[in-house]
Amino acid sequence: MKVRISLAAMALTALVAAGCGSSNSSTSTTSASAGSSTQAASSSGSSKACTTEIGIEAPITGQVAVLGDEQLAFAQLAIAADNKANGTNISLVQGDTQLNPAQATTVTQQFTSNDKIVGVVGPAGSQEVEAVGPLMGRAGLAFISGSATNPALTTSGKNPTFFRVVSRDDVQGPEDANFVIKTLHPKALMIVDDQEVYSTGLVSSMIPVFQKAGIKVDHESVSQKVTDFSSLVAKVTPQTTVVVLPWQVAANGQQFGKDLQQEHKNATIVGTDGMQSSSFTIPGSYVSAFGPDITAIPQDAALVAAAKVKYPKFGTFGPPVYAATHVIDEAIASVCKSGQTPTRASVLAAIKATNEPTSVLGQPIKFDSKGDLINAKWFLFKINNAGKYVLVTNS
Amino acid sequence: MHFFIQELVNGITQGSLYALIALGYSMVYGVLKLLNFAHGDLYMVGAFVGYFVIQWFGGSTALSIPVPLLLLFMFLLAGGGVGMLGVAIERFAYRPLRDAPRIAPLITALGVSFLLENTMLLLFGASYRDYNTSAFISFNTGIHIGPLNIDLVQLMVIGVSVALMIALTLFVARTKLGRQMRAVSADREAAEMLGIDVDYTIAVTFFIGSALAGVAGVMDGLAYNNIYTLMGFIAGLKAFTAAVVGGIGSIPGAMLGGLLIGIAESMVTGYISSTYTNLIVFGILIVMMLVRPSGLLGKVPLQKV
Repeated sequence: MKVRISLAAMALTALVAAGCGSSNSSTSTTSASAGSSTQAASSSGSSKACTTEIGIEAPITGQVAVLGDEQLAFAQLAIAADNKANGTNISLVQGDTQLNPAQATTVTQQFTSNDKIVGVVGPAGSQEVEAVGPLMGRAGLAFISGSATNPALTTSGKNPTFFRVVSRDDVQGPEDANFVIKTLHPKALMIVDDQEVYSTGLVSSMIPVFQKAGIKVDHESVSQKVTDFSSLVAKVTPQTTVVVLPWQVAANGQQFGKDLQQEHKNATIVGTDGMQSSSFTIPGSYVSAFGPDITAIPQDAALVAAAKVKYPKFGTFGPPVYAATHVIDEAIASVCKSGQTPTRASVLAAIKATNEPTSVLGQPIKFDSKGDLINAKWFLFKINNAGKYVLVTNS
Repeated sequence: MHFFIQELVNGITQGSLYALIALGYSMVYGVLKLLNFAHGDLYMVGAFVGYFVIQWFGGSTALSIPVPLLLLFMFLLAGGGVGMLGVAIERFAYRPLRDAPRIAPLITALGVSFLLENTMLLLFGASYRDYNTSAFISFNTGIHIGPLNIDLVQLMVIGVSVALMIALTLFVARTKLGRQMRAVSADREAAEMLGIDVDYTIAVTFFIGSALAGVAGVMDGLAYNNIYTLMGFIAGLKAFTAAVVGGIGSIPGAMLGGLLIGIAESMVTGYISSTYTNLIVFGILIVMMLVRPSGLLGKVPLQKV
């Protein structure tokens, strides 16, 4: 019997290993190691000149891997296009943060100790920027996020080398709230934060607007680790016609939507940013995003074509990262053109002086003294019955 | 009234899953006096086995077999597979430390927990997997009375959990193996001297406890769709709490503790606020431990004078 149990146990181990063949098993490491270096082709011929590295911090695995993979793909596209256009030899070093501040810190420490890295794209989450900003500042390393929207990241002064190419929650939050009031006319609504600083920041900017409009607001809070929302959904009354979910994890939003359907509640979900994902497709929902639908921007036709090959299911997380990577690439190229070797200080100075009349985001890119994008836009999408995102309005 | 019943059903559904995991904790503690911290991760492995069974048979939107057969395969493979995994863990990680100081197997259990989580992470990645249950079990099946909605999956979770708990209780009370488990739980050395094969009995205990956790994992996936490699940590923590509240080592106590924790969570979320759910539920735990340290149905240790 003992031999049989041991043999059976070994057979089970084989079963588990075989099971990975039927899945989309990912062998990417989850540790925050610097990962592999992607050598972007420099087909123009001048390969030795302007050779340097950019790091990318993104949630390449984890709860929002769908978004991190998209960000990584667009950064790679930007590097390839810019190397070709500028004759530079910039490589991309990957750092997987899993949207976790502790892992982001480890990745940042690896990046700052790597002298070849002169700029960083990311990290994605506001909570990560909070954790790594001072480190980056001490190292004099510029970092541009394509998705961190909490206002304090630039107003606090703690992140002196931080830039972003997206709008801030203190603009987006009230604008979203006004849209909900004017378009959906709720008498009562539920707003749920996911206990991370991005979400709580947005909630605190939206609640006063709702309350001023005389709407009854039920403010709830659930951890990102929770996957059962049935008890919360049971609290959605017939008068609660809108549920606002400024969540980072779209899969959780999808489950919330399913629980609403299961309990036959008619509330419309309004999500923000991270909810704009192929993981969230509840028809009739709205998602406010910091990035445009680039398929609707004619000047982006070439990028759209390239993205459809590299990452067909892209949404609004990729293009801002493309824009951010492009800013760093152009900063490096301008330093090289002036005859200098790119350093962190010279790249930082060049980024501060960025003045692009146009970009893939459909707007100029210029930063104010705090690192915010001047005249940043936001965009509102509605999910149609086929689960597709359709632009409704933008700022 | 409808709202109260809805929250009660939600709480019993979640509580049933906690109870199934808590049973494994209690059973293993009973025979080995070991808190198997890896137990929550067995729940997670079960959830993944269930997910891969769905993919094996064509995926949630294109199943090649009828749903009842799919569910049967999911439960059998998750239960049997995770049961064997539990036996393997006991054989290689805990048996060699059976006579070591109690801290040693406790640390090993933590190590096994990390090993399971990170092995699954390495094999399958950290992204969520979605059972997408509504694609093969419609929301419109179940009980719908006015605002009260109890879908088929919730009924199944509660029904299967109750059936398993009854089966386990009968097994422990009425079968020879159940008597052996109780004997080993009462006094391992004496049981050995009476001719009971202690190693086999402990292996069976691990098999049953782990199988229950595996089946609970499948039901978590069916009910809540999203599964991921770290989901076992939180579930294990709450189930451990349930086992302690109910009385560690007591099978009925584990069931009661699980249901209590589940219902407390849903009632606090429903009637107070989700913001305070964990605060209040764990606050209740602390108060109960102060009032009755051995748990609701736990045995108060005899003091010899």
